[in-house]
Amino acid sequence: MSAAHQEFATKWGLVIDIDKCTGCGACMVACQTENNIAPEKDASNKLRTLTWMNVYELKNGKEFPQAEVAFLPRPCMQCGNPSCVPVCPVVATDKNEDGGIVSQIYPRCIGCRYCMAACPYHSRYFGWFDPVWPEGMEKTITPFTSTRPRGVVEKCHFCHHRWNQAKDAARIAGTDPNNLPDGAYTPACVEVCPTGAMAFGDLKNPKHKVYELSRSKYAFRLLERLNTDPQVYYMTKRDWVRRQGDNYLPNEKA
Amino acid sequence: MGLDRRAFIGLVAGGAVGTLFTPIPWKLADDAAIWTQNWPWIPRVPRGEVTFATTASKLCPSGTGLKVALAGGKPIMAYGNPEHPLSQGGVSPIGASEVYMLYSPSRVRTPMRKTGGKFEPITWEQAQTELMAKCKAAGNKVACISGDVGGTAGEALSAFLAKVGSAAMYAMPGEAGPAAAGFKLMGGQGRVGFDIDNADCVLILGADIFEGSGVSVRNRKAFCASHPLGKEQSAKFAYAGPVRNHTGAVCDAWIPVASAHLGAFALGIAWHLLKAGATSDAADMADFKKLVESGYSPDKVSKLTGVDPEVLAGIAKNLAAAKAPLVIPGSEMGQGMGPGSFIAGMSLNLLMGRLNKPGGAVALPELPAVFPGAETPSEILARDIVGYLKNVGEDKTAAPEVLFVYAANPAYGLPEAAAMAKALEKVPFKVSFASFMDETAAMCDLILPNSLTLERYDDVATPYGSAFCSLTLVKPLIAPIFDTKTTADFILDTAKKMNLALGHDSLEKALKEKAAVLAKSDGFVAKDVMPWQVMAGKDKPAYDPAGLWKDLQAGLAWVKVGQVAQTGLSFAAKVLAALKPAQAELSLAGMAPQRAGTPATGLPAQCLTAIPDTDLKDGASIVRLNAATAKKYGLSQGSSLTLSGAGGACPAKAHISENVMTGVVAVPMGFGHTAFDAFSKGKGDNFLKIMTASVEDGTGVTVWAGSEVKIA
Repeated sequence: MSAAHQEFATKWGLVIDIDKCTGCGACMVACQTENNIAPEKDASNKLRTLTWMNVYELKNGKEFPQAEVAFLPRPCMQCGNPSCVPVCPVVATDKNEDGGIVSQIYPRCIGCRYCMAACPYHSRYFGWFDPVWPEGMEKTITPFTSTRPRGVVEKCHFCHHRWNQAKDAARIAGTDPNNLPDGAYTPACVEVCPTGAMAFGDLKNPKHKVYELSRSKYAFRLLERLNTDPQVYYMTKRDWVRRQGDNYLPNEKA
Repeated sequence: MGLDRRAFIGLVAGGAVGTLFTPIPWKLADDAAIWTQNWPWIPRVPRGEVTFATTASKLCPSGTGLKVALAGGKPIMAYGNPEHPLSQGGVSPIGASEVYMLYSPSRVRTPMRKTGGKFEPITWEQAQTELMAKCKAAGNKVACISGDVGGTAGEALSAFLAKVGSAAMYAMPGEAGPAAAGFKLMGGQGRVGFDIDNADCVLILGADIFEGSGVSVRNRKAFCASHPLGKEQSAKFAYAGPVRNHTGAVCDAWIPVASAHLGAFALGIAWHLLKAGATSDAADMADFKKLVESGYSPDKVSKLTGVDPEVLAGIAKNLAAAKAPLVIPGSEMGQGMGPGSFIAGMSLNLLMGRLNKPGGAVALPELPAVFPGAETPSEILARDIVGYLKNVGEDKTAAPEVLFVYAANPAYGLPEAAAMAKALEKVPFKVSFASFMDETAAMCDLILPNSLTLERYDDVATPYGSAFCSLTLVKPLIAPIFDTKTTADFILDTAKKMNLALGHDSLEKALKEKAAVLAKSDGFVAKDVMPWQVMAGKDKPAYDPAGLWKDLQAGLAWVKVGQVAQTGLSFAAKVLAALKPAQAELSLAGMAPQRAGTPATGLPAQCLTAIPDTDLKDGASIVRLNAATAKKYGLSQGSSLTLSGAGGACPAKAHISENVMTGVVAVPMGFGHTAFDAFSKGKGDNFLKIMTASVEDGTGVTVWAGSEVKIA
């Protein structure tokens, strides 16, 4: 529980190329089923949905035919300096593990939602209702992420269970679980993305693709000037998209 | 020594204070907090080893290979199969629904017969007896509407119809139908596919190739390969269509063109290519040239389509300068295009000499049939189902006595829904093989539920748009959850009992024979080398034909890159000469992303969350139009409006989007179901019902893309 910047030897990060995202929603669906989010009948009411991964539609604000569109998938940013962690009164969320993934301990959460108010990315969701699967569909619940009752906050954890699985596989193979090769650990959203718009890996490991990508001149992070130090990077060659990543003054360079 | 009052209090107080220095109270408090959330009515996660198995998606039209996760032997989740050429690890939201849709509340759980307007469960034996009696009485007046004509199951149904002497096998509309009809009119042989992987300049005419058109996951993987993360792209993509949809969003350029004008737009580009000296050895080259030069000059095309002449010239220049240009014709909503538009688009590929070349359009051979008498998919696809049903509804064509509906939902998924429903009502005995209680099943007299993908044997054979032939095995990973059967097996058994034996006892045996036949042909198993690499010149890998069935069972795909050499291919200039692009003040453009399912699946439960509230909100469909169009009709953001056409009307709310061209209303497809379950019912409206099915000049085939609409 600290507002101080956290650094770890391994820093799992996601790089999302906005110019390659078609907005199909495959990442959202994969996230929901992998992490046991129950289907919602009234999902057009976005106050009811739990979208750990959410795809936003961006517009350049121009009139037809100069208008352009882009899609921005938004998971939890796993900030290096997370706004949610210091406000949690019960240490239900913390950034205390190598890899830098911000944890969320559901049984510890008291549902005060301070973290939701603090998160500038709207990455956290509160379960107002108990999860209900249609009769029989509960058989498709995965063993990867525990089910949550109503009254707790939940969020993306970079499919943390897949990291455990990758480490186990490394141990079995006799390789170093703390030095996983690129691609050994991949969240569900990255795995299913049909256009390959996302890359995942250790931001500190030069052997991982994201190392170079996150240092690209086209890479940026959302609301970078809040000093939250997100572990999620976006890429675009379009200036108008980049400008939407932060609150810039009209004549300010992004 | 006695315990006095002072010592007792001291002991208790000391004990209490001492306890605070132990972890006990904190541990108990923590446990209490945990146990307050240990609510028994929240489902628990399963136990058991997590294993993986492979199959392919039948619900998703892009035919992706699937990697299914199982916990304790039960399927829990579907991913894309990284080893499969049509998936490479990618999966669409429909493909990902294959596991949880097993438990969809709308699944038909047992055979049912309609009695007195209500469905009653019956046994498979009773259903078969009734069906045989009806078929015997109907003679050759049996028809079939199928949503899956490419595979071996579709072959079995076609062979059954052939045995009873009927040729009334129809496919549900899509891009494959007009392509088959158009290519036939051009004198082409084989099925058309598009090699996006090896193309370096792709012009997409309407087709939503990254969503509902063709092998969309494969197409996106090809896009992914030519646009590597952090590196320069190796191919350019341009999208021409009425809406900057999901495909248009990632293309380098969007050229706004109304659906009805895409053919004219293509011929406008042909004008430039001809001027630059492009030619072809097609027999009607001179007629084509004359037609384009006289009717599709830049001024004329610009006047009709609104596309700046310089833009037209620029596109033609880019195509001509590219090493491997490719033009992909289609419709923005994956259906309703006419063969004429397809021919106009294909004429560019012909002019540039891009047929049967790496990175071009390819003509693929049909896979060998294992059911004697079955028609080829192209023959079935070329038929006009909407025209047929319209004629049935208007008594111009006799209604069949018995209608089979397989993997299709024509009561929902066809234009002019009211006219189509009227036609279906004229059929005295309708049999649905639906897995879900869809709109058509609800109209039928008998429902014989098909087992779902993970419960049955089936195959995925060369989906439309693929640049190579392929066959992927679908195999059961779980016993049928409900009292369902594989439709093909049921048909084979019924045929046998009617003394119309089709040659195989079960679909599994037919598939084994198909594998044996394919093993002798010139294909290979895609594993380390992919078919598009072979098309680009890489050596075809060696493989063991004797092990094909085993490879197919392992989830690998059999593929073949051979193309059909064309003799007598033409531009169908006479057909093009008769084309008359319609002019509409306001036209519809459908947006059909895969997250809205297909007519046969309804809205997959987990996909609802991925549907934005700019498509659907508070039960109402949201339609998109730009500010100029909105102003003309006095609309603003959130305004209520009613769209009318084809004798029907759909209420909706307006969303101002500048990614829709002026004079077009973009409507979300896949909503407005009246059947299925709470995940599909009562959500928005089905805009197909207000789409007018008109006849395309020159081809006589029904079209409804870009149909005129009015705002009330």
